[in-house]
Amino acid sequence: MTQSDTHLHVDSISKDFGAVRALSDIELKVERGSFVCLLGPSGCGKTTLLRIIAGFETATNGNLMLDDVDITRLQPHKRGFGMVFQSLALFPHMSVAENIAYGLKLRGAGAKERKDRVEELLNVIELPAIADRQVSALSGGQRQRVAIARALAVQPKLFLLDEPLSALDAKLRDNMQVELRQLQRKFGVTTILVTHDQTEAMVLADRLVVMKDGVIRQEGSPTDVYRNPKDTFVADFLGSANLVKGTVSSGGKLRVLGKESVLKSKAGVGTLEDLAIRAEDIQLCAPDADQNTPVGKVDFVRDLGSDLEWIVAVEGEKLRIRTSAKQGEIAQLGQQIGLKIDPEKIVQF
Amino acid sequence: MLSHFTKKHSLMFSLPALLAILPFLGACLYILRFSFSAEEATISGFSLNSYTELANAYFMRSVWVTVKLAGISTFIVMMLAIPLAFVLVTIQSPVMRRALTVIVLLPMILNLLIQAYGWIILLGPSGVLNSFLRQAGIIQRPLFLLFNEKGVLLGLVQTALPLAVFPIVSAIRAISKEQLEAASSLGASHWRIFFDITLPLLKPGLLAAGSITFAYNASAFAIPLLLGGRRVQMLGVAIRDMISPLFNWSGAAAGGVVLIAITTGVLFLASWISSRQTSKMEAG
Amino acid sequence: MRVGLLPSENGGTYRFVMLLLATLGVLVAALPVVVVVIMSFSASDMPSFPPEALSFRWYEEVIAMLTSSDASSAQSVPSSVLTSIVVASAVMVISVAACVPLAYAMARSGRSMRAGMELLFTLPLVFPLVILGIAFLLIVEGLNLDLGIWRLIIPHVALVLPFVLRNCLSAMSGVSVEIEEAAISLGASPLRAIVDVVIPLMKPGILAGLIFALIISFNEFTVTFFMYTIDVSTLPIWMYSRTVSSLNPSVLALSVFIVAADVLLIVLIDKIIAGKANLF
Repeated sequence: MTQSDTHLHVDSISKDFGAVRALSDIELKVERGSFVCLLGPSGCGKTTLLRIIAGFETATNGNLMLDDVDITRLQPHKRGFGMVFQSLALFPHMSVAENIAYGLKLRGAGAKERKDRVEELLNVIELPAIADRQVSALSGGQRQRVAIARALAVQPKLFLLDEPLSALDAKLRDNMQVELRQLQRKFGVTTILVTHDQTEAMVLADRLVVMKDGVIRQEGSPTDVYRNPKDTFVADFLGSANLVKGTVSSGGKLRVLGKESVLKSKAGVGTLEDLAIRAEDIQLCAPDADQNTPVGKVDFVRDLGSDLEWIVAVEGEKLRIRTSAKQGEIAQLGQQIGLKIDPEKIVQF
Repeated sequence: MLSHFTKKHSLMFSLPALLAILPFLGACLYILRFSFSAEEATISGFSLNSYTELANAYFMRSVWVTVKLAGISTFIVMMLAIPLAFVLVTIQSPVMRRALTVIVLLPMILNLLIQAYGWIILLGPSGVLNSFLRQAGIIQRPLFLLFNEKGVLLGLVQTALPLAVFPIVSAIRAISKEQLEAASSLGASHWRIFFDITLPLLKPGLLAAGSITFAYNASAFAIPLLLGGRRVQMLGVAIRDMISPLFNWSGAAAGGVVLIAITTGVLFLASWISSRQTSKMEAG
Repeated sequence: MRVGLLPSENGGTYRFVMLLLATLGVLVAALPVVVVVIMSFSASDMPSFPPEALSFRWYEEVIAMLTSSDASSAQSVPSSVLTSIVVASAVMVISVAACVPLAYAMARSGRSMRAGMELLFTLPLVFPLVILGIAFLLIVEGLNLDLGIWRLIIPHVALVLPFVLRNCLSAMSGVSVEIEEAAISLGASPLRAIVDVVIPLMKPGILAGLIFALIISFNEFTVTFFMYTIDVSTLPIWMYSRTVSSLNPSVLALSVFIVAADVLLIVLIDKIIAGKANLF
């Protein structure tokens, strides 16, 4: 593994709003050129953290280091970051070109230089013809891209985005996610994006930072965090996990869903342990296939087009299961069904 | 909130405006102080004379006339302002809406003199109304609608109308069409909807409009001066008379404080009733 | 629609009564002004209605007064008009210069500050004009101040502040915090962000405020009535002095000019802030 190149170091940052502690001791190292996603439910502090990085809030404790320079007290307009806001915040009284060139104008760039750079960026975002249009005449997707272009025009040290895609409809959002990723690769700029949408984070991030109640619950690559969630919150937040309890039986084995499994535990007999099983990791089979197969009753089945979503009641638990449409033949509402679960896929905490 | 915009910045930005309103505040305090002066023409000493002297028949009559005319005019204004507000809100064509807005707004900012001229021409002994009625044979001798309380009443209604219409228009936003339709579906006729739903929901706006109208009309000066002749002694005119020819400045100041007390009293009362109603609606 | 504040079909007596009262309201508001306009075209100088003959003679007389070189008395028309214009211009500039930063501060501060300021700056609106006139008069006379044209400018500013502030505040409501932060994130200092982004976006509201200030100051009568002097007098005062005894029709013609100008200005305001803000 190559030597990590820390661009931004969030050093034990805490933030209080009066009596409310919004962030507790946040410790984060962001590598140069990487795409970091701050993911969490609303109120978890992710936007507060982003705003502290941008300089629009000051931390109560802790430091912010950019390339080993302490920027904690530095005023926001001197930081040289590019930011895309949730509402996009385009300037309605300026044209597209003027919006994009605004940062350059502040830096004293001449008319020709601004014009060239605007043209360059408009080509990158694939909207070459709209330079002179008014912002109000653009579609949602176009305004999105102009906001991105405006932030990137100043060649920012950090690229900060606060839930930028939340106002777009589903199809547009999917496309923009891919485009955003490609743009980031192209420019190689260190990027931090805040979102509450787990799929979005999975698509965009090199590194995922899951937050709740002002603390970082887990950090890692998306696949890593998804496969090996550290606690039940992370497991449930990233995709729909079924949280079940396993009972420790004699011989250090775990009894799950009424049957002996191959999982082991060091805890004493009778202890309950938390387990997570993802909806797509469960397969359906005939109820009498194997004596170790858990059996349950089909409570609910729904056709989602390409997939089927089931709810099966097993040993007092209600499990959510996703299967391909092909498995539809296997059982109907109210019938008994067997569950096949790969023990490797069960997450033990 | 812009975190870098501190209280200090806030104060700095407010400074020019605070300076601009300082003379006004100073004038308020000056009046207050003068009303307690022992002398009539200058400020010296401290005495309640000016107030006790107000307890004479002349001043008391002024108070009565003022409250009466302000009250009646407020009632008439509300009867006209509510329908006007409804029409303004319901009009579809922007041209018509603009025209109506202009018509309603005009009396408020236009020169009070011009309004007075209009009323004089309309209601004077040889004016429009009288000429019309005389020619139609309805009356023999002219109706005396001017230079008495009736003329003043009309002037008050006209100049206060804009003040009432616009708060009501704002308050109408609190009513959704669906609420009215719900009442209708439950069996309410138009009048029932008006009294059971529309008016109660408009109450805060109506209280605001009514109290502002009352306060404005109670303070009227130019209208009773121009349209009342020497006969309609509303407080504004009475107070002015204390200054010239009487030079009783402390008395005028005391009278002024009484007038302010009446108007602010009404405004506070309306505001208090209104907030009790809103908290009841929010709690329930 | 069949159900509503003013139903358009099947409205019954309700609709009839509402429309009747509304029409009455319109008449009350408009009739005096309409009558003044009509009478200004009357050929005779007797206020009898309807006028037997129409003529422009009063308008000619007004124009003659306006352009006459008889500016000897400061209470002549040209001098009064000039004073009115100078006072109104000063009032416009001062009130806007005061209200724009105040509106910004109020929009970016906490609720209590904003509520307090709103209350403070609504006071001139509900304060009896006659008392205000008397109060200012007492101060100026009592303290023996020689203020010249500022005798009028200072009270007028206090009177227009509530209107101008309201317009600036509604202009500020359209400028989100994020837009300022966007400018700052691109490198603008907070002050630069205000100049480059906030003020341009406030323009319609500022313009409306300016026009309000102009109309109110130019037409102001009550307070001016107490504050004017031989040297400092406005058009409304001139009009009053000319009609204390009888109704001179040339004054009516002058009134029509003023009405026309005011209507044009109100229409202008309405157009500028159309949809973007409320008039009150």
